[in-house]
Amino acid sequence: MKPTRFAILLLALFMHTVAAHGQGIGGGQVTGNVQIDGQLTRPDSLIGAKDDPERWLMNARADILYTNGGFNAGLRFEAYTPPLPGFNAQYKGQGLANYFVSYANEQIEVTAGTFYEQFGSGMILRAYEDRYIGIDNALLGFNIHARPIKGVTLKGAIGKQRRYWEYGNGIVRGIDGEIDLNTAFSKLEEMPLHITMGAGFVSRYEADENIASSTQGYSLKLPLNVGAGAMRMNLAYKGWSLAGEYARKGQDPNAMNGYIYRKGEALLISGAYSQKGFSASVQAKRVDNMGFKSSRRETGEMLYINHIPAITKQHTYAFLSMYPYATQATGEMGLQGDVMYKIKKETLLGGKYGTDLHFNCSVITGLDTVALGGAGTEGYSSTFFSTGELYYGDMSLEIARKLDAKNKIACTYGYVVFNPVIEGHGGGLHHNNVIVADYSRKLGKGKSLRIEGEWMGSDSHYDSEIDDKRSGDWIMGLVEYNFGGHFFLSLSDQYCYNDGIGNYYTAAFGYTKNATRLQLSYGKQREGILCIGGVCRAVPATNGLTVSLTTSF
Amino acid sequence: MKAIKKLAALAIMAVMAMTVSAQNAKLPENITLKSLDGKSIQSNEISNDGKPIVISFWATWCKPCNRELNAINELYAEWQEETGVKLVAVSIDDAKSSMKVKPHVDGSGWEFEVYTDENQAFKRVMNVVNIPHTFLIDGQGKIVWQHTGYIDGDEEELLAKIKELLESKN
Repeated sequence: MKPTRFAILLLALFMHTVAAHGQGIGGGQVTGNVQIDGQLTRPDSLIGAKDDPERWLMNARADILYTNGGFNAGLRFEAYTPPLPGFNAQYKGQGLANYFVSYANEQIEVTAGTFYEQFGSGMILRAYEDRYIGIDNALLGFNIHARPIKGVTLKGAIGKQRRYWEYGNGIVRGIDGEIDLNTAFSKLEEMPLHITMGAGFVSRYEADENIASSTQGYSLKLPLNVGAGAMRMNLAYKGWSLAGEYARKGQDPNAMNGYIYRKGEALLISGAYSQKGFSASVQAKRVDNMGFKSSRRETGEMLYINHIPAITKQHTYAFLSMYPYATQATGEMGLQGDVMYKIKKETLLGGKYGTDLHFNCSVITGLDTVALGGAGTEGYSSTFFSTGELYYGDMSLEIARKLDAKNKIACTYGYVVFNPVIEGHGGGLHHNNVIVADYSRKLGKGKSLRIEGEWMGSDSHYDSEIDDKRSGDWIMGLVEYNFGGHFFLSLSDQYCYNDGIGNYYTAAFGYTKNATRLQLSYGKQREGILCIGGVCRAVPATNGLTVSLTTSF
Repeated sequence: MKAIKKLAALAIMAVMAMTVSAQNAKLPENITLKSLDGKSIQSNEISNDGKPIVISFWATWCKPCNRELNAINELYAEWQEETGVKLVAVSIDDAKSSMKVKPHVDGSGWEFEVYTDENQAFKRVMNVVNIPHTFLIDGQGKIVWQHTGYIDGDEEELLAKIKELLESKN
């Protein structure tokens, strides 16, 4: 982050002066957090763990935040020496990644430097970070939030986006407004129907460049400014709620959509009913050519201006999340439903403490499209309500019950159908059945035990050409023992017993005291996909010792 | 030269951390959170009439968070009666699952206040790295204790800390 070195030093000096002064008047405070994840790797040809010449791989970061009343300043130092397996090699390096100053009072908040921002559900703008999947598209520039009257929030943002250790070429500008009618108008304050509405607009500027259309043999006339707008509404009435957002994007030929000139659109609708002990919710979405980046040549995980959420349930058990779904921003349709029910205690089915049921199902497909041409054309046409190829489907039912004061058990059945096309390779649909049993027992002061067993039956077979090591039938066991109030020890093994390959054992030890946590683990990590919020990264196979330390102060 | 600048920056950060006490940081002001019916509130509006507050960061997809909140929920009425404590659960679910927060809370039968922190602005200023992460706040809005992770029985340590806080005030 070369151009800003001077600014950083100035900022650091300024912060220190203010910090020292702040202490004098008793108002300032410094807080922060540190995270260090390191791995000592060993090659393993059987599971495909690479031989890393550096041997010690590490991701480390420290955030320091200074606060004095409405004034804030922050710095973040990051080091990837080199990055852990699965993180993009372009992260290699170290330095100050974030630096900002901000001032906030009841009416206004201004931030200069790096900042994160989200308009609505993020379909036209979301600058965020997720350190576990290596996403950080922070904007470097100015950010303003204003609350001119109660119930009204206006936001403005301008800046360039972080791309590993540099910034993208494009300039991102955006404005957004939201009104909470019941708060803004005192007459509506007592109304049982709660209404919020909002709208936003984002535009990206990127200088002209020469991109040739391979089929037509001429250079494309590129739009230098690309705009995207969205409108949203949220209604809540007693136990009912309904929310929707619709977004559109102008012509944006880019590397992700094959330089076509079709406009983009996305619709996201959620409805829910809930009361104590029961809830049901449904979500639907349709996304068409909505990948929006601040550089038209960028294809990977970085420089996304917007974020299209995946609506599938984020499963946490290992085998249920073995084939996770990643949002296809270029085009998809999806439907998801979720029901939770608590069978009352002291009933025949509910038992002494009650029983929790949780059901979910989802189906995601591609769009039904008709091709119209390649780069430089409209690209394709699609019918709004017509679905295309099946991408993903799942359903799961979890039954959880507290047996007595000490024992708890949760059993889950899940079914997942997965199309490898979304990860960019063929091989047909995979159908998987998963069964999980999760038992925990309190053993007295500071001691507890948790045992988890999982089974997955799959119709997929290992194919050395595709080399998907998740194929086949699997079984897994995990034992976790917590003791002394602060320590844990766990042993686990995932074994593929049919039609596939792999045996992945891990032993882990951890210590937690207040906000500090140290974890050591040794063993083999299966290659797979790690997803958070519908954004995924491939995690390669690794073998070795992992050390992880986090602390907040 | 580059290395020297990096070292200098690190040194400045270290000095800053040392010269200003990090003890008993105050709850940040003016961070916008949303209530489950879509209403915006500011972080400094979280209050409990001078009595202790527990703030717990969680997400619908986080198993240990759910275990922790279920365990506290069972004891919550007892805790309130005994200590007057108020639990505020802050969900960091993003757009993927933020619409499921209210159904999840009602479906789980939770009785405490819940807010959403969709783009994790509150999580960042509170220096939360992993969830669950639980803070104990005294009547003046100062963080007196924090804890990360959850294992069965951790709620007993939290209750002990709440009682300790009340005793130190008397």
